[in-house]
Amino acid sequence: MSAAAHLPALTVVVPLFFAYLMPLLARWRKSWCAATTLAVLAFTFFSSLYLANRVMSSGPFVYHMGGWAPPWGIEFYVDYLAVFTALTISGIGLPVIVYGIKDLPHELKEGVLGWYYTLYLLLMASMLGMALTNDLFNLFVFVEICAIASCAIISIKESRECVEAAFKYLVLSAVGSGCLLLAIALIYMVTGHLNFTFLAATLPGVMAVYPKNILAALALLMVGLGVKAALFPLHVWLPDAHSSAPSPSSAVLSGLVIKIYAVAMIKLLYKVFPATFAGMAPVMAMLLWMSTLAIIIGSMFAIVQEDIKKMLAYSSIAQIGYVFLGVGLASHNALLGGILHIFNHAMMKAMLFLAAGAFIYATGVRKLSQLKGIGVTMPVPAGAFAIGAMAMVGIPVTNGFWSKWYLALGALDAGKPLFAAVVLVSSLLNGIYYLPIIVNAFFSKPEGAVAKPGRLPAVMTGTLVVLGAGCIIFGIFPSLVLGLVSRATRLLLGL
Amino acid sequence: MTDTLLRLHQNSYYFFSIVLFIIGFHTMLTHNNLIKKIIGMNIMDTSIFLFFVAIGYVRGGRAPILEPGAGHAYINPLPSALILTGIVVAVSVTAYALSLVVKLYRHYGTIDAEEIMRLRGGETL
Repeated sequence: MSAAAHLPALTVVVPLFFAYLMPLLARWRKSWCAATTLAVLAFTFFSSLYLANRVMSSGPFVYHMGGWAPPWGIEFYVDYLAVFTALTISGIGLPVIVYGIKDLPHELKEGVLGWYYTLYLLLMASMLGMALTNDLFNLFVFVEICAIASCAIISIKESRECVEAAFKYLVLSAVGSGCLLLAIALIYMVTGHLNFTFLAATLPGVMAVYPKNILAALALLMVGLGVKAALFPLHVWLPDAHSSAPSPSSAVLSGLVIKIYAVAMIKLLYKVFPATFAGMAPVMAMLLWMSTLAIIIGSMFAIVQEDIKKMLAYSSIAQIGYVFLGVGLASHNALLGGILHIFNHAMMKAMLFLAAGAFIYATGVRKLSQLKGIGVTMPVPAGAFAIGAMAMVGIPVTNGFWSKWYLALGALDAGKPLFAAVVLVSSLLNGIYYLPIIVNAFFSKPEGAVAKPGRLPAVMTGTLVVLGAGCIIFGIFPSLVLGLVSRATRLLLGL
Repeated sequence: MTDTLLRLHQNSYYFFSIVLFIIGFHTMLTHNNLIKKIIGMNIMDTSIFLFFVAIGYVRGGRAPILEPGAGHAYINPLPSALILTGIVVAVSVTAYALSLVVKLYRHYGTIDAEEIMRLRGGETL
C-alpha cells in the first residue's frame, strides 16, 4: 500500500506524534515550535482535502487499523460527514493558531508556550479521530483526550478564573465521560460489538430482547455527549470556561470542540440507533425542545452580559442549539442546515473570539460598554467583528444566512412551522445583542484606552481578514460546501 | 421474593457497581471539599470499571491463556483490555484534577468550594 492509502490514520497520528515532540522541541529549538505546529496542521488540512476529494469521486471507504478487519480491529470510516468535519477542524484550526503565534506570548507565561502547542495538537488529533472513527471505544478514548486537552488549554493561563473554570469543566466532563463509558458497557453487554456498522446490524434484533439496556444506554449517551456539547440544561460550565481561556483557545473551544460532540451524537443517532429507537423513546422530540430552549435562553443570557467574551460564550450555547435543532427535526433540509451550521458557526465564532481577543490585546478592555468607538481606532478587527455579528444574525451574503435558511426550510418540510418561528425569533434576539455593539463601535467617539490602541501584529489582522473573507465567500457561494453536506445528509438519512 | 433475591445474587456485580456509582456520584455532587469531589469521581469511575469487567466474566472461566489440549472455559478478555485503557484515562484525569486543586489552593488558601465561592463573591464552582 502506498502512503496515500494510510492517510485516514496519518491524519490523526501525525498531530498526535508531533504533540508529544513539542515540549522537547521547545527545549531544543524554541522558534521551531510554531512553525512545526503550522506544518502539521497544514498537513492535516491537505490530507483532509485529499480524503474529501477521494470520497467525493469514489464514495465512502473504510480503513482498517493495522490491517485487522472488524470485528477484531478498529475501523475508520471515511464518509461525507467525516471528511466534512475533518475539513472544518483543520480548516479553522490552522488560522486560529496562526493568530495564536503572536497572541499567545502576550497571554501566557514564557515557559509554557511549547506546552500550549502540545495541547493544541492533541486537541486537533482527538477531534479528527472522533470525526473519522467507526468504533465506540475508540470514540471514548478520543473523547477523553479531547476533554483533558480542552480543560488544560484553559488552565494553561493559570489565572484564578481559568483554574476555576477548568476545574468546573473537568468535573462535569468527567461525569459526561462516566456516562459515556457506562453506555458503552451496556451496549457491549447485549450486542458484543463496538463497531458502529456491526452495532447497527445487531441492535434491532437485540432491542426486542433487552429493550431496557438499550434505552438506558441511549439515555446515558445523550447525557454524556450533551454535557460535553453544552446542550441547554447541561451548559453551566461553558460560559466561564470559554470566556476565561486565552483567545485562540476560546476560538477553538467554542468553534470546534462543542461541535465535535454534536457530530458524535449525529453519528450515533443516525448510523447506530436508527432502526432501534423509533417509537421506543421520543429522543428527537426531546432534542428539539432542548435545542429550542438553548436557542432562546442562551440568547437571552447573552443580551445581559457585560463582558465581550462571556457574551460570545453564551451565544455559543444558543448556536449549538441550531445544530441540535437540525438533528432533532430530521428532515433533509433541516439536517443539512444543522450540519452546515457546524462549519459556518465554527468560522464565524472563531473569528468573533479572535476579534474580541484583538481588542483585548490592543486595548486591554473587555467590557462592552467601554468598547465604544473601537471601529474608528481599530477598523479591521471591528470590521471582522461586524461581519461575524451579521453572520450570527443571519443577514444574506454571509454564511450564517444559509444554515438558518435551510433550518427554517427543514422545519417547514417536517411539518413543524413552530421551529421555523424559533429560528426567526432567535435571529431577532441575536440582532438585539450584536447590532448595538457594531453601532457603538463605528458611530461613537472613542474614549480612554480605546482611543489609543496598541499596534496589532499583521499576522493577527491577516487572520481576521482571511476568516472574514471566508464568511462572505461561503455566504455568496454556499455551493462550495453544500455538495458535500448534502451528500452527508443523504447518506445519514438513507435517501 | 426468593426469585428476586436469587437473581440479585446472580447479578450481584452489576447491582453493587450501580450502588458504587450512586455513592460516587452523590459524593461528587454534595461535598464541598474539592478533594472529596475528586474521590467521588474516582469511586464513580471504579464502579463503571467493575461493571465493564463483570460483563466479560464467565462463571468458572480462566484467564484466556490458550494451552493446547486443555478444554477450559475462558473469560472474555476484551472488557479487561478496554478497562485497562479506562484506568489509565482515570488516573490522568485524577492527576490533572489534583494539580488544579493545588493551584486553587495557592490562589485562595482553601479547598472548600463554598469558601471559594464566598471569596469570589459570585457563582458556584
